[in-house]
Amino acid sequence: MKNIDEIDAVKSLARVAPGAQGGDPTGAGARALLAVITSEEPAAPVRTRGYAARRRALGLAASFALAAGVVVGPSLLEDGPGVPGSYAVTRTADGMVTIQVRDFHDALGLEKRLKELNVPAIVDHLPYGQVCRGPRGKHVEDIPQGLYSLPENIPGEKEGWQMQINTRLFRPGQTFVWTISSTPGGHGSSTSTYLMEGPVAPCEPVPAPKPKVYTPEFRTATVEGRSLEGMRVDEKTVGEVLPELRRRGKKVVFLIMAIPPGNPGGFGEERTQEEPVGDDWSVWEAEENAKGVIRLLVTEERYDRNPVYGGPRDAVISE
Amino acid sequence: MNDERLARFEAVYNQAYGRITAYAARRCDSPQDAADVVAETFAVAWRRVDELPAGAEATLWLYGVARKVLANHHRGDNRRRARMVELDAELADLYGDSLDSGIERAAIGQAFRTLSDDDRELLSLVAWEGLDREEIATALGLSRNAVRIRLHRARKRFSRALAEADVHFTSDSRFVPAERPL
Repeated sequence: MKNIDEIDAVKSLARVAPGAQGGDPTGAGARALLAVITSEEPAAPVRTRGYAARRRALGLAASFALAAGVVVGPSLLEDGPGVPGSYAVTRTADGMVTIQVRDFHDALGLEKRLKELNVPAIVDHLPYGQVCRGPRGKHVEDIPQGLYSLPENIPGEKEGWQMQINTRLFRPGQTFVWTISSTPGGHGSSTSTYLMEGPVAPCEPVPAPKPKVYTPEFRTATVEGRSLEGMRVDEKTVGEVLPELRRRGKKVVFLIMAIPPGNPGGFGEERTQEEPVGDDWSVWEAEENAKGVIRLLVTEERYDRNPVYGGPRDAVISE
Repeated sequence: MNDERLARFEAVYNQAYGRITAYAARRCDSPQDAADVVAETFAVAWRRVDELPAGAEATLWLYGVARKVLANHHRGDNRRRARMVELDAELADLYGDSLDSGIERAAIGQAFRTLSDDDRELLSLVAWEGLDREEIATALGLSRNAVRIRLHRARKRFSRALAEADVHFTSDSRFVPAERPL
């Protein structure tokens, strides 16, 4: 049994071949996702003022909200509310419904037209930055293959999009729920599409939830208002710093920094450990957590500039 | 500033998209789940764009985020499900080629599923993503030593599970259940 290579065995299970890439970043899905994600402001920088160069492998304490909102069709230029021909919905004998949308403001008209063609749909238009209070109903988990197509360009037109829905694949009690909102400046729209079953509550607009700001466990301890205010540890050795911290009764742990080649400013976290490191190791900054534990950012090697700040601390933090 | 952030994020996105989609597809039973994991992973990365490491380390960092997203995804039954149709379709492409569903693969899969989440993830990061120990340490926020020890144990446990499933190794690197002649 010794000659079993477990890793090869695991390889045989890979849906996407080991080492192979999955999706194409230039594909429609990838571009749509990128557009949705970056349409919102990212969280305010956690590290301000001069920390921009400080890139850390902050590990995994990810705080994430649910994937916001959702789905876009191709960007859609708007040409005023409720213009005639803002949408077109057609149905073929085999139950295939084609929807072309050029303007999203006439949500009610679109909804009505869809219902006429036997597409159970609810369409809401929302100002940017608002969402419908959820949950409005029960989401269908098992969406039949081919129920709807990708939104795509309307042939021969630059604006708007079209998509197809196979109404024969609807099950009784299911409803298409669209929420459409304009992006700032009115230069585009995004659409979220849900398939729900059972009753669907009316849209109650509420402000879109602000993404949670990720707060790292440790923060700089030597700046104003923190536990080591006024104490300088940067560019000293562990042997020079530890006695004072011990005198103050601090519990100390060590973050072993990983410095990229050439020490361009910035570092990775190799590990954090309680075991002491050598007295001759270099200290570049001290951090604290909520429990008052001090974490020294250290390297075994001595560098000619502080990796935390990409240069002298004084150039970044003025007291 | 925002343009700089956007450019940096987009560079990482383009660089990592293929790997993160592959990561998600290898671990999710449905393309919809995989699409959710991909979307949430990059959404988290954008929110934390100021912490995003540069270069190759960014992908490792994203693996770490994806791992958390995946764990959360599996836990949440009542989560609001958002559908991004193009993304679903792209991910569905990855599920198109049905895997060799031979008896040996089924046996290996069964043995693999008896392992803990952590064991499976370590073995997968080596076998599927091709990461070395140091890269895994970075992705999972562990020390290299911890990775070494845990990986060793995971391999041993998997080896035992394979043995119990009567999966034997043959000289031409194919796996066959014991009862099936070569």
